[in-house]
Parts: sequence; structure tokens; C-alpha cells
Amino acid sequence: MNASLRRIRAIASTTLLELTRLRVFYVLILFALVLIISSTFLARISFQQEFQVTKDISLGAINFFLSLLAIVATAQLLPRDMEDRVVYSVLAKPVSRFDYVIGKFFGVIALLIISLVAMSLLCFIVLHFRAEAALHDANQQMSQLASPQLSSGGQAIHGAGLNSDLVVALSLILAKCVILAAVTLCISAFATSTIFTISAMAMVYLVGNLEGVVRDYWLQEHPAGWLARAFLAFVAFVFPDLQAFDISDLVTSGISTTGPFLAKLLGLAAIYAVSYLLLAIAIFYQREL
Amino acid sequence: MSDAAAICIENATKVYPTPFRRRVIVALRDLNLQIAPGEVYGLLGPNGSGKSTTLKIILGLITPTRGKVTIFGKNNSSVAIRREIGFLPENAYFHKFLTAAETLRFHARLSGLAARAMTKRIDTLLTTVGLAHARDARLSTYSKGMLQRIGLAQALIHDPKILVLDEPTAGVDPAGSRDIQNLIAALKNRGITVLLSSHLLTQVEEVCDRIGILHRGRLLREGRLESLLGVENQTELVLENASPQLLNELEGQIVSANARLIGRRKSQTSLERFYLKVTESTTE
Repeated sequence: MNASLRRIRAIASTTLLELTRLRVFYVLILFALVLIISSTFLARISFQQEFQVTKDISLGAINFFLSLLAIVATAQLLPRDMEDRVVYSVLAKPVSRFDYVIGKFFGVIALLIISLVAMSLLCFIVLHFRAEAALHDANQQMSQLASPQLSSGGQAIHGAGLNSDLVVALSLILAKCVILAAVTLCISAFATSTIFTISAMAMVYLVGNLEGVVRDYWLQEHPAGWLARAFLAFVAFVFPDLQAFDISDLVTSGISTTGPFLAKLLGLAAIYAVSYLLLAIAIFYQREL
Repeated sequence: MSDAAAICIENATKVYPTPFRRRVIVALRDLNLQIAPGEVYGLLGPNGSGKSTTLKIILGLITPTRGKVTIFGKNNSSVAIRREIGFLPENAYFHKFLTAAETLRFHARLSGLAARAMTKRIDTLLTTVGLAHARDARLSTYSKGMLQRIGLAQALIHDPKILVLDEPTAGVDPAGSRDIQNLIAALKNRGITVLLSSHLLTQVEEVCDRIGILHRGRLLREGRLESLLGVENQTELVLENASPQLLNELEGQIVSANARLIGRRKSQTSLERFYLKVTESTTE
């Protein structure tokens, strides 16, 4: 294996270990799991509504807690290493600052993937058991119907529960959190405290979730010239449009997404993440330690 | 490579701008320093004199405003040159959630050590720094002295040709401090260059070949210890089993030769040696 890759892997695996030892990680995961499970106790009228509520709460919980984890976990990495002087002993080894920042980033991404898988698995299990229960109820209520009708009813129940659109929504939540981690790393590369980084990220998160709505409203009401469009594009680059990655409304309403739609959003996420990561590396190269 | 100085600093100046103010802080002024391969060099100076800045510049952690640094004739900005250097930062804490063995494994991986050589090297170093018994304990449970020892081990993990130590015995008890001094002497015998920054003058005096004194970013004095500390017109004689009669005769000869006897006293051991003798005998 390439020496640089070995170093990146060493830093990433140690970062992952560091993050999994943080209490906040378990607290966030626990809150998310409690929310997902609690969705099963809410009263509802039909199985469609039942799945809609479960998906809505689950996606909302995963989205919120994974975003929070991406920001809080990443914000601590560089300041903590500097406080503990770990950064000196690491960078005094044949480790470039590129390897160091990339290693830290991949450590956070590994944590996000593990957390997403844990929360998604629980969401899938909940949906599966609810689907089985709904199927059982339907079988009892419609036992006099012919078997083809029963079979199509069963497919409808399963289709409304676990489906590929749910996986697409979860992938986009991960893509959004990868962007958040890259932006957080970029800010912490020059910030002097964790509090500053988290405060700045709270603003980025707020603007990122509102800018799409404001932009659409603005363009609808005031047909903009090239200058206004350039300004809006600049704002969209500085503050990634996080709302674009939230398709939970589509998923809970049963509206299917298309391949090109997903590819476009994943491509956009990759551009954002790589740009911010490169910026973080460039800033960290200039930083006096 | 062997002909070039292990560390060569030429006209290094470091200026820090202060935000929102016109004045600047000059941490280092036109520093020139050459350390030969195999030499033990002590960098002395009060707090804020520029010692840590000098070490960071050598390691490439900060860039000098002016001047340049070479390691064995090569520019220190290259990442590859750091294979030749081991560094122990002042008050290093490392990853507290790792054990001693995990910490060394992490640093070995960063240094590009082959997996096969890693385990043996880790065992050897833990024994060398006296931490073999605590290899699987997390660093969060370590005392300050133990942390300094593990710091020393990580600095040596890749068998560097140069060792840079920033206050290596800070917080270490006298016995541990003596062990570290002995280790530095052993490294010197193996031809490893050591650059040591310390406040402990006695320690520096015992292990260093040459010293430099920094003050307010300037190198005030530099040279070999014997030439810096020797008093030109005075000589010391240390005698064993000398009778009072012999001493009286010597004093008489001194007076008749127009020399002056400045003092006559019983030889004393140092407090450190006395302390070590007492504690070691109690341990036995």
C-alpha cells in the first residue's frame, strides 16, 4: 500500500476510535433510536398513514442527529489535537498536512456511516414489523377475498413500507452530512476554538436550510439579472443548499425519485465536499502550529 | 549526507504580527546554529526566549519569516526529511484513549514502519523507557513522568538520526530524570544527534557537548561547555586519601610559588546523587 495511504488510514482509524469514545456520540445515537422507536406508538388510521408517520419521524431524527454529529464531532478534532499537542508529534513524523486533514475527515465519515447504518437498521426493523402486523390485520379483515387480490394488497403494504426511495433519502442525508463535515473542518482549520466553529456552523446550517426557499421566492417575485444570479450562486457556494438534500417529504408522500435526480444531487454533494476539503487543507497548510 | 551538519539554521528570524495592532512580536532574530552529527546540543533560555520557536522551525511546524533550515543538507520543508527526526513536545499528552502499545503502533504506522518490525520495536522501546509493565494501560491513567517516557518512546519509534527534545524531564521525578539522562548518553554513544531544550541547567551540563543561550530571540552565547564554563586562571585538584601533612606541604609550596589558594574544602556529592543513593537503597 502507498505510504501516504497507510498514514491516512492510521489517522482515520485513530480518529474513528477517538470519536466513538465521546459520550456525545452515544447520547445522540440513543436519542435518535428512542425517537424512531417512539414513532411506533403513535395512533393512526390506515397502514399508509402509519408508514408515513414512521418514515417521517425516522428520517427527521436521522437527519437531525446525524447533522449534529457531523458538526460536533468534526469541530473538536483539530482544536483537541492542538490542545493536547498531539498534532506536534504527528506532524513531526513524515506526515504531510494533507494526509493529516484527509485522515481526520475520513475518520469522521466512517463514524457517520456507522451511525447511519445503526439508525437505518432500526428504522428498517420497525418498518418491517409494522408491515408484517399490517399484513396480518389485512389478512384477517379480508380473508374472504381471492388470493390474487390478497397478494396485491400485501405488495401494496410492503411497497408502502420498506422501499428503495427510503434508501435514496438516507443516502442523501449522508451526502448532506459529508458536506457539513467538510465545511466544519474548513472552519476549524482557522478557528481558535471549538465554540466558534460550532457557532459558525449553526449559522451555515440555518442559512443552508433556508436559502433554497428564499432564492425560489426571490426569483419568482423579482426576475433577476445576471448580477443578482451571480450573487445567489455565490451565496449557494459559500452556504451549501442543504435543503436540496432533504427529500423526506417526497419519500413520505410516496413520490418516487429518478436516477438522474439522485446522480445530480450526489454530484453536487461531491463538488461541495471536495471544494471545502481542499480549502481546509490549504488553510491548514498556512496555519502556524 | 554525513559531511553536512545534522541541523543547520541560517539567519532564521520569526516575526509574529499582532492582530489589530501595528507592532509585531519578534520571537527569533537572525539565529545561526550548526549542530554536528552525533553531537548533544543544549538550548537554554528563560520562558519566551525563542527555544520552542526554534524547535518548531527545525521541525517545519512553523515557517521562519526569513532564513532557512537544513537537515543533513536538505531543506527541512520536505516531509521525507522527517524520517530522520524524532520529536518529544513539551508537556505532550497524546491520545489519552489509547494504551502505550497502541500509541506506539499509531506512531509506527505514521513513520511507515513495516508491520513485521513494528511489534518487536514496540516491545524493545517499552522496555527501554521502563513502561513494559504498563503497555496495556490507557494513557489517561498515566502519571506525567510516564507520559514523558511514552513521548520519548514515540520519538524513537522509527530509529531517527536526530532527536529533538523539548523539556524532556519536565514533571519527571529525579530517578526518571536520571534514566532519561542515561538514555540520552546511550543515544549519543550510538551516534544520534540530540537537540535538547531545558530549564534544568545541571542536566544540560551533564549531558550536552555544546550549549547555546537564547534570550529575547537572540543567541547570546554559544560554544563547548568546557570553554564556556572554565575559569582561565584557576585550576582544581581533587585528592583522595591525602593526609593533613601532605595538604599543609602543598599549601606551603603554593604560597612559595606566588600562587593563591582560593579555598580548601571536603568534596561533596550532588543532592541528586545523594537522593538517588538513598531512594535506591530503600527500594532494594
